[in-house]
Amino acid sequence: MEPQLSWYLALSAILFTIGVAGVIIRRNVIAMFMCIELMLNAVNLTFVSFASFFQDVTGQLFVFIVMTVAAAEAAVGLGIIIAIFRNRESLDVDDANILKL
Amino acid sequence: MLALLFILFAALAVGCALAVVAQRNPLYSAISLIGVFISLACLYVMLAAPFIAAVQVIVYAGAIMVLVVFVIMLLNVEHEDSRRTRVGFLLPAALVLAAVLIAEVAFILVSVDKASFPSSSSSDIGSTASIGSQLFTTYLLPFEITSILLLMAIVGAMTLARRARELSPNARVIPGAQLLAANIIDPSKALDDTTAIETDTVAEAAHLLGITSPRDPSKRD
Repeated sequence: MEPQLSWYLALSAILFTIGVAGVIIRRNVIAMFMCIELMLNAVNLTFVSFASFFQDVTGQLFVFIVMTVAAAEAAVGLGIIIAIFRNRESLDVDDANILKL
Repeated sequence: MLALLFILFAALAVGCALAVVAQRNPLYSAISLIGVFISLACLYVMLAAPFIAAVQVIVYAGAIMVLVVFVIMLLNVEHEDSRRTRVGFLLPAALVLAAVLIAEVAFILVSVDKASFPSSSSSDIGSTASIGSQLFTTYLLPFEITSILLLMAIVGAMTLARRARELSPNARVIPGAQLLAANIIDPSKALDDTTAIETDTVAEAAHLLGITSPRDPSKRD
């Protein structure tokens, strides 16, 4: 039995939900950051599966762009995390509640 | 056979994703996340997208996760302390919303399998050549915009992570600085006095100010 499109979409939805739950549950900034990466990957899986089933390469190009944006987001996000850690000596998001680095 | 492979990699991905959320140590979360990326790359190969699979391993599991692990080790984060928050009154609302969401997703998943797909199995869909030709013709503008985005990310990350240069109250000459505000050099001047002194070298600035630099001019920071 071949894997259907709905299988991939269900897996993507599960991964995205786990990522959302992680962002809500975790308090460590780096852990939240990794959960955001997880959500981006879930969306990428949706793009690639649609591209494969509709025989269209556009979805894979979107994945390419999303990966670039994720790399940029990783660089800037980790810079922000380092700046927060220098000022607060903590990675707990509850400690960074004043809108000021 | 393909279904068995799908179940294997999907189970691996979901298990590693659950470990990302459940682990208390961020380093273990990062390694579990690498597991998710690798199993997703295997799924991309099954979906006839070998280029995306390779980029997934190189960029995500390689570059981005190395960056994250670097930061985790640089900051030397401990286990996060488990504090309990009061979410009891939100639990019924969350259950209702989750039921609605599951119903929607189930409807979509049932209806998507009834759709008809193009049956022509042209083999060059996920190849590097087809992606490259599309990327440099139809989608050239997003490609260029992405390069600008990466440049902005480089500049922004360096600006954010750089430690601001601290001036001691007695500092008169900053080694390496060519343009000094007058009130930095002479604190008795008013702050709104924007007269600046422009010199090319530290020794020139020291000579202009009539002082000898306390630091070795050849040793710049």
